[in-house]
Amino acid sequence: MRTSTTPRPRLMATAAVAGLALLGLSACSGGGQEAAAPTGGADSGDLTWWGWTPDAVNAEKLIAAFNEEYPDIAVTFVSKPIDSYDSVLGPAITSSDGPDVFNVAPGSANGGVDTFGAGALDLTPAVAAALGDDWKDKLAPAGVEPLTVDDKLVGVSAGAVYSGGLWVNQDLFDQYGLTAPTDLDEWKQVCATLEVNGVTCFVQGAGQHAFDMDTFEAVMENVEPGLYVDASEGEVPYTDERFVQGMEIWKSLFDEGIMQEGAIGLQQYPDANNQFMSGKAAMVMMGTWYTQYAVKDSMVAAMEAAGVADPTPFAITPADFPDLAGTGDTGSLFGDADYGLAVSGKTDQPDAATTFALWLGTSEAGQQAVANTLNNVPALKGVTPQWEQIDLVDPARQLEPLQEYTERAGQATEPRFASVSSDLNSAFEDVLIGVASDDMTIDEALGALQAVQDEEK
Amino acid sequence: MSTTAAARQTPGRSAPVPGRADDGAVTRRRGVRQASGLPWILPAVVLVIGLVYFSIGYTGYVSTLDWNGFILSPSEPVGGANYTEMVGDPVFWRSLWHTAYFFVITFTVQTVLGFVFAALMHSKLRFGTLFKVVVFVPTVLAPAIMAPVFRQIFDADGQLNRLLDAVGLDAVSRPWLADATTAMGVVMVVTVWQWTGLTFILFFAAMSQVDPEVMEAARIDGAGNIRALRSIVWPMVRGTTAALALLGLIGALKTFDVPYLVTKGGPNHGTEFLGTYIYQVMVAEKHFGYAAAISVALLVLAITGGVLMSIRNRRAERS
Repeated sequence: MRTSTTPRPRLMATAAVAGLALLGLSACSGGGQEAAAPTGGADSGDLTWWGWTPDAVNAEKLIAAFNEEYPDIAVTFVSKPIDSYDSVLGPAITSSDGPDVFNVAPGSANGGVDTFGAGALDLTPAVAAALGDDWKDKLAPAGVEPLTVDDKLVGVSAGAVYSGGLWVNQDLFDQYGLTAPTDLDEWKQVCATLEVNGVTCFVQGAGQHAFDMDTFEAVMENVEPGLYVDASEGEVPYTDERFVQGMEIWKSLFDEGIMQEGAIGLQQYPDANNQFMSGKAAMVMMGTWYTQYAVKDSMVAAMEAAGVADPTPFAITPADFPDLAGTGDTGSLFGDADYGLAVSGKTDQPDAATTFALWLGTSEAGQQAVANTLNNVPALKGVTPQWEQIDLVDPARQLEPLQEYTERAGQATEPRFASVSSDLNSAFEDVLIGVASDDMTIDEALGALQAVQDEEK
Repeated sequence: MSTTAAARQTPGRSAPVPGRADDGAVTRRRGVRQASGLPWILPAVVLVIGLVYFSIGYTGYVSTLDWNGFILSPSEPVGGANYTEMVGDPVFWRSLWHTAYFFVITFTVQTVLGFVFAALMHSKLRFGTLFKVVVFVPTVLAPAIMAPVFRQIFDADGQLNRLLDAVGLDAVSRPWLADATTAMGVVMVVTVWQWTGLTFILFFAAMSQVDPEVMEAARIDGAGNIRALRSIVWPMVRGTTAALALLGLIGALKTFDVPYLVTKGGPNHGTEFLGTYIYQVMVAEKHFGYAAAISVALLVLAITGGVLMSIRNRRAERS
């Protein structure tokens, strides 16, 4: 028999649960109160900036350049691993203790604006005030629409990254009298020479599928430029014969020994990157973000991070993806905005945060600093790296190919991930690794991609 | 039950008789006692209900949504659609199958090794303390620290293959992490390496409870070491084995760190477990509702497995 005292704890417990439930449900009901759009214009503050990029060395360079103009706005960059960025960012930007400024990326990528746009302030008025009503014309297209959600500019693009080519350890290539391969036969010959000398020819962390998608897109750009993006937008079926050819070439990279043994057991970061940076592998499939390692101090830092003690920097150069399909269509680059700076809706310094975001993404000084890090192709049109101020490892061998490469990247129009939905992205993981490991036939793989595409229509 | 009830009675006083006039007073006193104890347990109650049971309930609620997981983003109720999708998802079933045979193999190997090590330690081994430390240390090492080491050892160019090449077994060497079957083997090896120490310690403690007179009687009856272990020790540590099986089952269902850190669930979902799959669906694909549905399935499986195992153990004890 219960006494008159027993209902009280039950009542209290019920009230506690109900209170917590209401707290949780109200928190997830979405559509938090939108703060007024910031304008920038502050000249003092103390900001925290979260991002998975740039590297610490380059972030410090950017902040130092910013402080030349705004000495009273302190910025602390907090580097977060890209794999766990989303899981830490969500709680952080719903808290007033989180970052004032944070990186965002197009679509559903890590830090994607589709997900985190609701936690950022609209920067449209601030950018329009900074660049004028024709602000969209002054910025690279890759940094505007892909960072916009429902007419809200979630982030100001710092710059873009492009992929589609290889990076070569020029020291090793020169040592063995090699030149970058232009087709499959040359690639195999180069590999044979390197492997005789105990060097891994080409390294790819094929277990990390985003980089497999880069390689596959490069193959498809070689088969027929634009086809990969057409398919991701549903205009061409993945079961098209040209995709069969592309997938056969992808498979041949494993069967012909271009991909190193055990490639699908490795991650691009850190495994493949470390092998390349430690000089164990002579080629790697990376994008324009690797340009920064042409610079002495960035290369030394990257080599140290790869476990090289007392490193001597080596020269790296970009090379076109070889003509594996025999079409002669080579040299395509494809890319998206690397990151944009978003201002947290919870920051108590929206104007100072906006000042920093605008400086980095829309001012000539900020974009010049971005360009000079060589990590990104600048978002502001007309800004190019000041090569004479950049301390390359070996300008004689690097300057010309790097200039040509960054110029071509600035003109590229094909997207990298922006046209790929998260479900299609996951399907690519299954099929590219599935085909490589013989767990899937090419027909099964392309059928699986098309099934996802059909479902999304 | 009766012992507990008797113990609750105040010495020197008779138990209250039903129907007597002071029934109400006794009940009131009991009520006062309960009420006065409440503040002491309230923090724990709030913590348990707030953090554990509310989270479970909330996960159940999220499993009925189509939601990207960001708290400011809108969600859409989809009813049981996430569960329907789960039933038709081959990766979910594959993860479940991996969990099942991972449990059977790792539990069996750990039990055999732990039991043998414990039995050896009950004999007079030299450097016994050092041996105990060596076996137990992996249990306290964080998988995050050891994962890069194991990735290096089992790399195509790693120490294991170099060793195999050096002893003329180059035909055996292979990229261990690049093939689904061998990658799962690596995950199991790491798990066994990590948890055998705990199995060993528990068996060692359980064996200490075996009555020496029983062992002595067995020796007098002519039982050798193997026979004594099989017929005397093994049945007497059955409770420990049952507890380890239950812990192992729940651990297998929750497996995350080793496959995530060593193989990332790959290649091609070859080492995918429910935990790693939930993480991928939730963080990489941003289908929080679907991830919550798999979490609910995981919870149901853990409870069902635990209950079934307890019933089986109880029956075994009775028989």
